[in-house]
Amino acid sequence: MKAKIQVVLCKCCTEMPSLLNIERLQKLAAESNNVLSVVTVDAICDGKTLASVVADARDKEIDRAVVLACHKKDISPAVLKAYKRAGVNEFLVELVNIREEVVLPHRNSPENAQTKAETKLKGALARSVMLAPLERRSEEMKTRNVVVIGAGVSGLAAADEASKAGAHTILLEKTGKSVKAPGVILTHGQLLGASGYGGNFQLKIRAGEKVEELGAAAIVVATGGGWTTLKGSLAKAVKDAVPLYKFYEQMQSGTAPKGPVIIVDTPDPGGKTLKVQDYAWDDTLETAIDLKKRHPETQIFVVFQEMRAFGLSELAYKEAADLGVTFVRYDRTGTPKIDSKNPIVMSVKDFAQGEMLNIRFGTLVFASIPPNPDNKTIADALRIPMSVDGAIRRGSIQRWPVSTPRPGVFVCGSALFPKSRDVAEAEGVAAGAMAGEFVKRGRIEFGGVVAQVTQEKCSACLTCIRTCPYEAPFIGTASKAEIRAQACQGCGMCVGICPSKAIELHNYTDDQIMEETRILLGGDF
Amino acid sequence: MAERRPKVVGFCCERHGMDAAVLSARNGRQFDASVRLVQVPCTGRVDGMHLLKAFEDGADAVFVLGCLEKNCYYDTGSIEGRKRVNYVKQMLTEVGIEKERLEMFNAASTNAWAFPEIVSKMVEVAKKLGPIGGGGTQ
Repeated sequence: MKAKIQVVLCKCCTEMPSLLNIERLQKLAAESNNVLSVVTVDAICDGKTLASVVADARDKEIDRAVVLACHKKDISPAVLKAYKRAGVNEFLVELVNIREEVVLPHRNSPENAQTKAETKLKGALARSVMLAPLERRSEEMKTRNVVVIGAGVSGLAAADEASKAGAHTILLEKTGKSVKAPGVILTHGQLLGASGYGGNFQLKIRAGEKVEELGAAAIVVATGGGWTTLKGSLAKAVKDAVPLYKFYEQMQSGTAPKGPVIIVDTPDPGGKTLKVQDYAWDDTLETAIDLKKRHPETQIFVVFQEMRAFGLSELAYKEAADLGVTFVRYDRTGTPKIDSKNPIVMSVKDFAQGEMLNIRFGTLVFASIPPNPDNKTIADALRIPMSVDGAIRRGSIQRWPVSTPRPGVFVCGSALFPKSRDVAEAEGVAAGAMAGEFVKRGRIEFGGVVAQVTQEKCSACLTCIRTCPYEAPFIGTASKAEIRAQACQGCGMCVGICPSKAIELHNYTDDQIMEETRILLGGDF
Repeated sequence: MAERRPKVVGFCCERHGMDAAVLSARNGRQFDASVRLVQVPCTGRVDGMHLLKAFEDGADAVFVLGCLEKNCYYDTGSIEGRKRVNYVKQMLTEVGIEKERLEMFNAASTNAWAFPEIVSKMVEVAKKLGPIGGGGTQ
């Protein structure tokens, strides 16, 4: 079959002609094989221009297109959509970035830039012929369940927000505490295992004594911190020391122990794993102020190595200091110590004054939040990455602050890293909204640039299964690997690593990549 | 005849790698025209064969540019890519090609300064070592 290619040269207003000879590019395109039509436009990002381009494509019944314009990510949504409407398969449209790869960075060498642009055009034409038409498919979500793991501050906020979007929320709480939230609440609930992909997960959960199977469309991980795992010399010496959240609750209900209070940053001040971001300083200050207002006679000491009360929390720091909270800063030379024989006195060297202080206390409170030990089980079950300090890792702090790399799995609160109550709640709302929106779509789209296994070549070595971060490959009924298209993200890691070369990634096949390289190396620039 | 231009091939992942190149161009930074960028979805996709084939087709230096290892779009993609590059480096040494001709880099998409630095480094390597086999003979 002979390909019918349309070549579109976008001038990017005046940028391309300022360096390149457009006529030479036009001539080269027109003389190439399979090229049916060459269109030169001022700016393809203009809607009317784009409409005229695809109208030309429809008239001449072309089936492939090569667009020389700017960065792929900037124009691809609009351009691909327009071509799709004109009846051209969106995966047969090849976008070549001439603006950022040739025109802008090579202003000083116009002759080389011209050759480079021509070579890139040749390469794109060669690649275009080798592209295969692909299809995106969609599948109905079987349930509208959003499973929220953890009924803490962020978990409750997430459940609330997801239910607003019309999702059925199922809250798994490890302990038996009673909470108020929309949807089903399973106390003593735990996630044991999971399979499937975003939109259609099958979860294995424990609710009380029973182990049940549960379908879910999206999952929100809100496990929070591991309060029960306070380890370190101070926690060892003082048996009745409490974490900050528990002290806050006791204070609210009026059952807090009497006597002077020390809020110390970590139970293990002499340890190696000291990280300053691990403490909820906003909450510490808030608790101290609240306690001082309730009981002005109580002495409060905040013992810390480095205070990170940023933003408006500085005002809280000032307010606490004005109210009479004593701040004691220490450094590595004089870490706080408590003798286990006399667990009511803390000795610490004040960094500012250089004096040893012996503080008699009634209650010891820890502001640190260690990572939750359950994170490991959950991360293993859901196949989501963990950070080095045992928390769940998010996709990207800029683009996906509450998403994991796996579609359909969201994360919020102290499961990511320790944080204050208000931040955790805001993240919970965000994750709940994301999960609700995900479920509201009702269908999952998949396909396109995904990997595929040539069954005859596969030797079932399981390398792809170990490599894939998305759990897409599996061993099918024929004892050969298969790729679950719904889970595949199109990264091609399994393709590169397959020792039998049995997997190929659509439109990024070995031949296409090597042919493009060969042609690019052919030009002299 | 003019001085022989070096030929440098860069395999860029379409996430952070390509974005870093694009951002540096948009910031008005100039880099050597002799770099040929090939877009791959992820550096994990880059096969040893692609790298060797690039050398066979006449590249003087090849680099692979991916996301930062702890912030990779595809989680472990750039780690896989680095493993692949190190493996091919070993192969190059065995067949008597300088392993400096092949290098793996990581860049964040916001690092506008990173890409021109990478290019100038690789072009320098290509100029210093000359064509593979010396003097252009095969």
